[in-house]
Amino acid sequence: MLRFIRPATVAGVSIAVLAIAGCATLRVNSYADRGADFARYQSYAWAERGAFSTGDPRLDNNRFFSQRVEEAVDMQLAARGLEKTSAGAADLLIHIHARLDQRIDIAAFNPIDGRCTEDDCRPEVYDAGTLMVDLMDRRTNRPAWRGWAESSFDGMVDNQEWMEATIDRAVARILARLPRLSS
Amino acid sequence: MRRLFLRVTVVAAAVVLAGCATLGVSSHTDRGLVWSKYKTFDWGPADALPAGDPRLDKDPFFQDHVERAIEKAMASRGFARSATTKRPDVVIHYHANVAERVGADHNDGGYRNCASDDCRPRISRYEAGTLIVDIVDAATNVLIWRGWAQGSLEGVLGNRDRPPAY
Repeated sequence: MLRFIRPATVAGVSIAVLAIAGCATLRVNSYADRGADFARYQSYAWAERGAFSTGDPRLDNNRFFSQRVEEAVDMQLAARGLEKTSAGAADLLIHIHARLDQRIDIAAFNPIDGRCTEDDCRPEVYDAGTLMVDLMDRRTNRPAWRGWAESSFDGMVDNQEWMEATIDRAVARILARLPRLSS
Repeated sequence: MRRLFLRVTVVAAAVVLAGCATLGVSSHTDRGLVWSKYKTFDWGPADALPAGDPRLDKDPFFQDHVERAIEKAMASRGFARSATTKRPDVVIHYHANVAERVGADHNDGGYRNCASDDCRPRISRYEAGTLIVDIVDAATNVLIWRGWAQGSLEGVLGNRDRPPAY
């Protein structure tokens, strides 16, 4: 069907697609320790930042990325009434993992009636990002909760404002899944 | 303005890395950073991270090329190399990385008959190089700017005679 659409329409659709890509679909999920009593948790601290590779040299040791994530988490946890304290006194210790990988979307390869246009003759290759937030129970040293978001991150590292907006949105969506806390 | 100029620094350095291939160049920085207070620079301690390719790790020719390119670009933006006895305003680190990436081949456009083999999805692998330049405030040891360039290194690595175009 697509091949009957006029070029002008295709251009219009492309622009619309770009606008949507600005709000790329986030897949968000979480696991909670069934034994954890979330009503007990009142304070948190950042765990010592271990050296981890994001898989993308542009983001490794990049404070413009890591600080933005931490600020977004701080804001969401404050909004849920958790108090930020020293690591020795906190109920929860927070770890962040971020990973950027290239993915291949074979489904994008979609010839119609044995014919294809330039765009659907090739599969899509894109950068996918995963952001994970771990809450560790400091006393038991066991994971209490893990939430994560996955999304296309294609082109976002190269655009600081877009990257920051995506981080804020992803963190908000992840922590929206937190069980109800004490307050 | 200086922020824009700095972008050129990375391009100049990256051209050494990538020859004439298309480069994706961008940067992260603090909005509202006052660049005018930074006037002198020097090199920070060498990056301990591996380049991801033995052809670049500890290659003095490559390092010399990158450093000269960055020095030249910094000088043309008005930065002076600080005297050895004085602390510089900013310290520069750079890091080169080589990783295999995949790309989807572009077809030559138009409608095609997919009965033939050329309609199969075509995935190619290539070596992608990333050159990262970090500028750190020497007084606070905080990263104030990171710029990078990424491009295909096909036919570039191991070809020392390829003329650097900066």
